Amino acid sequence: MLNLIGNYSLILALITSFIILILTFKNFKSKSILNLSIFATISVQFFLICVSFITLLLAFINSDFSNLAVYNNSHTAKPLFYKISGTWGNHEGSLLLWLFVLSLFIVIFFFKSKKLLDSFRILTIFFQQLIILGFLLFIIFTSNPFQLIIPTPIEGLGLNPILQDPALAIHPPILYLGYVGSSIIFSSSLAALVCNYTNKDWANDLKKWTLISWIFLTIGILLGSIWAYYELGWGGFWFWDPVENVSLMPWFCLSALLHCTSVLEKRSNLQSWTVILALSTFILSMSGTFLVRSGILNSVHTFANDPERGIFVLIFLTVLIFIALIIYFKFNNIEKFSKSYLLSKETAIVINNWFMMYFLAVVLIGTVYPIFLEAITTEKISVGPPYFNQLIIPFLIPFLLIMSIGPKLDWIKNKKLEIKIIKIVLFFISILISYLIAKNFNTQVLYSTLLISSAIYLFFISIIDLKNKSLKISQKISHLSFSILIISIILNSLFSEEVSVNLKKGEEKKLSNYLLKFENISRSQIDNFTSLKAEIHVIQSDQKLKFFPELRLYKVPETITSEADIKTNLFSDNLVVVNYLKNTDYLNIRYQKKPFMLFIWLSAFMLAVGGFLGLRKNFK
Amino acid sequence: MTKKLLKLFYFLFFLNLLFSYNVNAQNPQVDEIAKNLRCLICQGQSVYDSNSEFALSLKTLISQKLASGNSEEDIYNFLKSKYGEWIVYEPEINKYTLLLWLLPLFLFIFGGLLIKRKLLINRVKNEKYN
Repeated sequence: MLNLIGNYSLILALITSFIILILTFKNFKSKSILNLSIFATISVQFFLICVSFITLLLAFINSDFSNLAVYNNSHTAKPLFYKISGTWGNHEGSLLLWLFVLSLFIVIFFFKSKKLLDSFRILTIFFQQLIILGFLLFIIFTSNPFQLIIPTPIEGLGLNPILQDPALAIHPPILYLGYVGSSIIFSSSLAALVCNYTNKDWANDLKKWTLISWIFLTIGILLGSIWAYYELGWGGFWFWDPVENVSLMPWFCLSALLHCTSVLEKRSNLQSWTVILALSTFILSMSGTFLVRSGILNSVHTFANDPERGIFVLIFLTVLIFIALIIYFKFNNIEKFSKSYLLSKETAIVINNWFMMYFLAVVLIGTVYPIFLEAITTEKISVGPPYFNQLIIPFLIPFLLIMSIGPKLDWIKNKKLEIKIIKIVLFFISILISYLIAKNFNTQVLYSTLLISSAIYLFFISIIDLKNKSLKISQKISHLSFSILIISIILNSLFSEEVSVNLKKGEEKKLSNYLLKFENISRSQIDNFTSLKAEIHVIQSDQKLKFFPELRLYKVPETITSEADIKTNLFSDNLVVVNYLKNTDYLNIRYQKKPFMLFIWLSAFMLAVGGFLGLRKNFK
Repeated sequence: MTKKLLKLFYFLFFLNLLFSYNVNAQNPQVDEIAKNLRCLICQGQSVYDSNSEFALSLKTLISQKLASGNSEEDIYNFLKSKYGEWIVYEPEINKYTLLLWLLPLFLFIFGGLLIKRKLLINRVKNEKYN
């Protein structure tokens, strides 16, 4: 019964989608004011999509195994929380969530854009509806979440245990809010191009949506990263894995757009470039979905994939890009420059965009190149951390320095670059500190020194700027957090320590200056898995730490996951991960000391908070 | 100002060629090598991160090879000849991967030139107006 309701609401939503497209098209042609029946149909559509989403949610909560998606991804023994998160932990459900957010945003857009030009609003709704139509077709024809199985199975197959985790349960919806927010940016740019509306008002509106997507994307990436840190159990938090890269690409684009909209808002400049960035953001988000869903990428994160669905997304994507290109070249006649000066905030932002685009290019090329190379020459290569580190990190040095100068430049001409003695002193202090850090730690001194000093310099300058009343609080917080983020990441990678050893119960071993003891192991039955808890002691000179890392044996589906035991201090994380060695009674024990982890998470979170403050200010 | 900045960039770029990024660890050489190898039987894990039999045996192999006096270069070459380019995370520069390494840098330079041109055009315009 529920299945039928869900299914029919989707089909009705498809019909409303056509109606909205026709209505908006006519409304736009007649050049009259916004027809209120458009709003009525949007609301109806939103309601229908809500109904089908709630139906699926209920099917998951009630473990209704007559539904194929529930059967494939759920199990009665699963805790309620993961039954709920199971709704979007699979392909079909996650698409329905996409659709839900898409239609939610179109309603929000309607309410929040009342001050803007009518024809622009109508067209934005039109383009946004095209995207919704694409998703509806995709869901109904290739990945319907309401398929029935007859006869109804008694038990489901279970959710991949590695996904049964609080951070990962909310990670997809948040990331999707970011991705879907960029769809409004896309539609709104196309509409603005057609209506020749790429002006200050539009920039102001675009900025809000950019901020919303950017905040959610930042938090989404952060959550994914935290999850990878403690669940995958490798002690790392960023692996330059293709699926991570795919979420990073729209983030670079959005960050560039965020800065760029200010120029458009304040100086009516860079229209074309803003539009290009806005269009690329959504296209990158969509391509990301395509690459992940199609299973083209070889990645640890690829849990659900199906090549046939990839083809649909590819067609959809091509159509969107095609429309975007046609409209861009047909309507783009906005190349007019007002005065700009070499030494101005505008130039600083252009340089920011320049670097952002470079980082984007590195990530994009590094992710996509192996796929194309293999298709063309059958040569199989891997592009991993060494590639990204070598191409990105050196460029961070000038980037950070410019970031510390940029915000204080004036929009128009900077009369003279004020160089205060204190800043020069700070600059040298930064170099000195980083030289000491790099020297004490046996690493390439000159290179690390430059990198750390630029990060510390930005940190000092951002601290001083906190008192500067002419700057926006959102910008101050975000820049400060960014500098802390970079410093913590560098120090983390320089000072991480690790020892790894294979031990039996009762054994101990001394490695460098750590003594590792495997004290005990206990077995217990929790919820839907068996837990093996080991007790490991790590002794370093006078300090003794007890760890209880865990192995979880899941029955449905049969999997072992490893839960790290992490002791978080302000300045450093200590963690122990155990792994089961096949056909032996040995455990592989890995002790890691990861400095500044807390700072990494907090600063990334503060980065998003900065964005949120900016959003609040813009909505006032 | 721009010239100075450009000089700085060239200098930094040159530095990058001299020193590549380094993350240190306890048993530096084995770990260092293992981090740059893909665990072939895992999904997207490095040999260093993985505890699979393949990864463990590879780590032993690396330390043996190091002990018997092989250089890092030798080990990479040996593994590449055995398992193909797929196993290393840092693709070597050859005719297939030249673009991979150079394209981002070209784009960076291209972007810089574009910006420089735009700014210069604007300056000329502004001078006319003034």
